[in-house]
Amino acid sequence: MTARMHENNERLGFAGLILPVALFTIWYIATLDGGVPAYLLPSPLDLARTAIDFTAGSERLSPYSGTLLVHTIASLQRVLTGFGLAAVIGLPLGFLTGRLALAKSSLDPTVHLIRIIPGIGWLPLAMVWFGVGEKTTVFLISLAAFFPIYVNAAQGAASVSPMLIRAGRMLGANDLAIFTTVIIPASMPSTVAGLRLGLGLSWAYLVLGELTGVTHGLGAVMMDARMLGNVEMILVAMIFIGLFGRISDLILTSSFRKLNLLKRSYEE
Amino acid sequence: MKRTDLSANNISKCFSEPGEDGLLYVLEDMDFEIKEGEFVTILGPSGCGKSTFLNILAGFETANQGHAVCCGEPVRGPSPERAVVFQSPVLFPWMDVKNNIMYGLKQTGKKKDDAQRITAEYIRAVGLDDFDNYYPSQLSGGMQQRVALARSLILDPKVLLMDEPFAALDAQTRYSMQQLLLQLWERNRQTIVFITHDVEEALLLSDRICIMGKRPGKIIEEIAVPFERPRPISLTGSGDFTQLKSHILSRLLV
Repeated sequence: MTARMHENNERLGFAGLILPVALFTIWYIATLDGGVPAYLLPSPLDLARTAIDFTAGSERLSPYSGTLLVHTIASLQRVLTGFGLAAVIGLPLGFLTGRLALAKSSLDPTVHLIRIIPGIGWLPLAMVWFGVGEKTTVFLISLAAFFPIYVNAAQGAASVSPMLIRAGRMLGANDLAIFTTVIIPASMPSTVAGLRLGLGLSWAYLVLGELTGVTHGLGAVMMDARMLGNVEMILVAMIFIGLFGRISDLILTSSFRKLNLLKRSYEE
Repeated sequence: MKRTDLSANNISKCFSEPGEDGLLYVLEDMDFEIKEGEFVTILGPSGCGKSTFLNILAGFETANQGHAVCCGEPVRGPSPERAVVFQSPVLFPWMDVKNNIMYGLKQTGKKKDDAQRITAEYIRAVGLDDFDNYYPSQLSGGMQQRVALARSLILDPKVLLMDEPFAALDAQTRYSMQQLLLQLWERNRQTIVFITHDVEEALLLSDRICIMGKRPGKIIEEIAVPFERPRPISLTGSGDFTQLKSHILSRLLV
């Protein structure tokens, strides 16, 4: 079965290349000889040069030369703080909601009521409460990331096989041990799915928060570059946000896979 | 005379029938007794409530009437002194073989060195020497059941409750698991309650067979198995064996 899956993956890998290569070619041809003006869509080569300059500062093309690290650190701090807060609050509440009827009946309705309001809808209020910038961004990120983390942890904890709990009990585990050594690890596949959704939303809301006006950060670069009419920089910042989002997702999943907590093979 | 290790008096268990007012009696006035070190099989047709009965002995479920008593104490919940081997292995998939077997020892707060040493002993005892770092999903069904057996036996339980533990295995694997179980039992002589629907298995393994009748379940006949141990596989061809087997089958088919 594993062999067949590998084969599928390879075929998928090849098929998956067709569309990006085609898009890239069309893009390249369209921007050749000013077919599409550069202030709307720069050519791939210009974009690559801007990206390199943004990273290494080698060409001094713009005020952003060599500032990638500064902006990335600023953004990463916000994402990690916001996401961390969401996880620290969302995971324990989710696990409790999944296992305790009292926690579920007292928490769940309120959480779902608040969840209906779109995260973006909190922006004006957050700006009133926390001002423009840092705190607003972190608040928006943790608020947005909280819900998927909470909901999936609860669902994971609620659907742990009762047989696993029986096994733990007859082997002498007390309530606390059942919670920490059976329920939490057994609910990991669903919980990690929630963490991944939360992390993805964290990057999305990072951009929203940073657009409101902070001095450093990839979102700030985008907003700044827009005012300067520097489309290359907007696109480069977008690409880096996508890249960092993907890398952070890979780090998250691979660390849980290392702990062997993502195996779906519950032999029941 | 040996003291009674585990008993059940007048156990009744019922569930409400879906869509009806009446109660469905799964067990009714069930009496059961097993002496220390005895190996008893409970044999019954599927749906006769034998698993429910075992769950009551294990403390996973409570009876509506009557109660189980283990070593003079009423059963109030699961406990490592009444270890269970389920029909499916129910191992922790995120732990390797070693940690699955060591799990119970960790709960007792055993020192790490001791726990490691005892675990290694039991890994050897169930013949999984080179597999201690494997995860359950990498093992065959028989090997998984060996792990399940080891993690229960490592706690040195007074009673071992086994719920059709080998039913899902192929014939050869089942036979080797039966031999392994007997070999481990000869060593420590735990009290074993073994649920099965396989008459030959019951005759090969146990000292005594309790036959359960259909719903509401109760024991309709007890048979002391007369064969000397060790019981070779050739025994299954002998006249006494087949005669007893057909007698039991006729009781089950009533």
